[in-house]
Amino acid sequence: MRNHLATVSLLTAALLSGGALAADPGVTDTEILIGDVEPLTGPPALLGVAASIGHKIAIAEANNAGGINGRKIKYVLEDDGYVTARTIQGVKKVIEVDKVFAMLGISGSGQSIAVMPVLEKAGIPTVIDVAPVKLLWEPARKNVFVVGQSYEEGIIHLVNYLADKNPGKTWGLITQDDDYGITVRDGFDSVVKAKKLKVVYSGTYKKGQQDFSSDMLQLKESRADVFLAGGIIAENIAMMKELEKLNVKPVTGIFWPGRIEPVLKLMGPAGDGIYAVDYVEPFAGEAGKAFLEKAKPLVTEAEFKGINRYTMTGYAAAKVLIAAIERCGKTVTWACTISELEKTKNVETGVMAPISFGPGVRFSNQKLQIMQADAATLSFKPVK
Amino acid sequence: MQYFLQLLISGLAIGAIYGLIAMGFAVIYKSTGLVNFAQGEMTMIVAYIAWTVSTTGSGNILVVSLAAILAAVSLGLVIERVVMRPMLGEPVFATVMVTIGLAVILRSSINFIWDAYPHGLDIGVGRGIVRVGGIGVRTGQIAVIATLLLLLAAIWAFFRYSKTGVAMRAVAADDRTALLMGISATRVHALAWAASSVIAGIGGVFFALSYDLSPAMFQLGLKAFPATILGGLDAVLGSGIGGLLIGLTENFAGGYIGSGMKEVAGFAMIIVVLMIRPFGLFGERDIERV
Repeated sequence: MRNHLATVSLLTAALLSGGALAADPGVTDTEILIGDVEPLTGPPALLGVAASIGHKIAIAEANNAGGINGRKIKYVLEDDGYVTARTIQGVKKVIEVDKVFAMLGISGSGQSIAVMPVLEKAGIPTVIDVAPVKLLWEPARKNVFVVGQSYEEGIIHLVNYLADKNPGKTWGLITQDDDYGITVRDGFDSVVKAKKLKVVYSGTYKKGQQDFSSDMLQLKESRADVFLAGGIIAENIAMMKELEKLNVKPVTGIFWPGRIEPVLKLMGPAGDGIYAVDYVEPFAGEAGKAFLEKAKPLVTEAEFKGINRYTMTGYAAAKVLIAAIERCGKTVTWACTISELEKTKNVETGVMAPISFGPGVRFSNQKLQIMQADAATLSFKPVK
Repeated sequence: MQYFLQLLISGLAIGAIYGLIAMGFAVIYKSTGLVNFAQGEMTMIVAYIAWTVSTTGSGNILVVSLAAILAAVSLGLVIERVVMRPMLGEPVFATVMVTIGLAVILRSSINFIWDAYPHGLDIGVGRGIVRVGGIGVRTGQIAVIATLLLLLAAIWAFFRYSKTGVAMRAVAADDRTALLMGISATRVHALAWAASSVIAGIGGVFFALSYDLSPAMFQLGLKAFPATILGGLDAVLGSGIGGLLIGLTENFAGGYIGSGMKEVAGFAMIIVVLMIRPFGLFGERDIERV
């Protein structure tokens, strides 16, 4: 009997000294594990690598300041190669094998949607930052929070701006033949309907298409004054260079997945003056410069070169997650972290407008801004 | 008319790139009886090496060209010696699977060695625009059409008149008899891999000049493969012409029917042609397809 009492006493003491350890995985007295699955290989690595660098910067910043209430953050990163089956496998691996405490990321929009059942079933606190689409926050899931703005709202904002700036002009649009393209087209169509825009060219291209000569020739023939280039990165570059070859320069708008500075270098003079919409700060602005200064000592030289807008989205999401865990104090649990994430109110990250969630609100609904490309400085500058 | 001519010239330019890569497929098939599913990836690697040389050195066109050719030869030889030669005598299916595995490795190596960003190959020429009668074309596009035509002539002469060319044809026709005649099949195979890598690599470099360099560039192989099938898997010259036909079909379909038809038109044409000539437009009748 005495032995049993001793055992029970010891177990009780162990549980009291590290209540969180027994309840939720990924937390020890010295460490907190945060997991992530991103495309680190293949063309989409452009966003996956950049986002993971953003997570690393926020984590390094927190660790340099002593960690989260004394616990250092360890980052577990998996590559999915932008293949949905591998995303699911990767998320299961970091949750079940690595036993991380929380998740950041996760890969592209389709991949995030596909892992929702896994995340929901696990109940793990998750902050998504790479590809915000409505299906991630509608319906709201208890443990999944999304930092950003919806693709559709982004397009609506851009088309509204260009329509107001170019009244009575004719429009052209080309989109990719996938869910991304459909979202862009839906946003565009809603403004076309509301503002009764005259669309003279509407094309669709197959994902992976590299030559846009006939598409841009059709756009030229349509005499569109304003053009919404619905490509992602390489596609928009090819389209702008093709238009340059054809000696036409419509007012052009691009969407944020393609708003990265190296694109302007490749577009050359053809990219000068194109409009873009985004919810993160441009690197040419004060906030962007300050972020780069902050990031420089925290990442390697190669990582620093890999910074783009997705680094900012990753950084912001990681900051929000770290702040929520921090507010839990010494006893870190999933329940507390989710509760604190929900209480996130006007958290300043320096790279986008303040971030807030709320009871039942799992989407931060970031403020959008219009930017214009300056080919001379290879940068995007906010439009006043 | 201007619209038609613009589509024609753009179609020939992209078709020439498909044609060069398609010839790479055919050279290997003709000499080894093997379909190399890593052809697009080899094309991409050579273009990336050319870009690396151009950015680390002065960007001189001769230096970049020489380095790209040397790199292509080395790549072809290394793949043949390290990966393909041990597969000699193994079932065709296993060998084809090896090339698929090789494709995945080469594709992934881009991110490990370089990065996922698009890059422009700048060697001082090829990016300028020439305008004639309202038709715009980049100098690199003119150059790639000319290069394809020159290579078609050179390869025809090589297979027709040179001893090595005749040896390659002999190995393709019957490697055992060729062996009895004193021809080294392994040497022919190595030469085929090197030549294929160079020809496809030239296509890759021209693509990078006219368009851009990105990890998605391997997809050119997916366009060039139908060109090879169309021209004839065992017809090197036919594959080059097949590339031009695919480029033209894509562009005319995209320009006259609609942008959505662009990617479909080339494949639709292949289906029709193969129903009439299963061995391709210029291929020999009894080839074994994989």
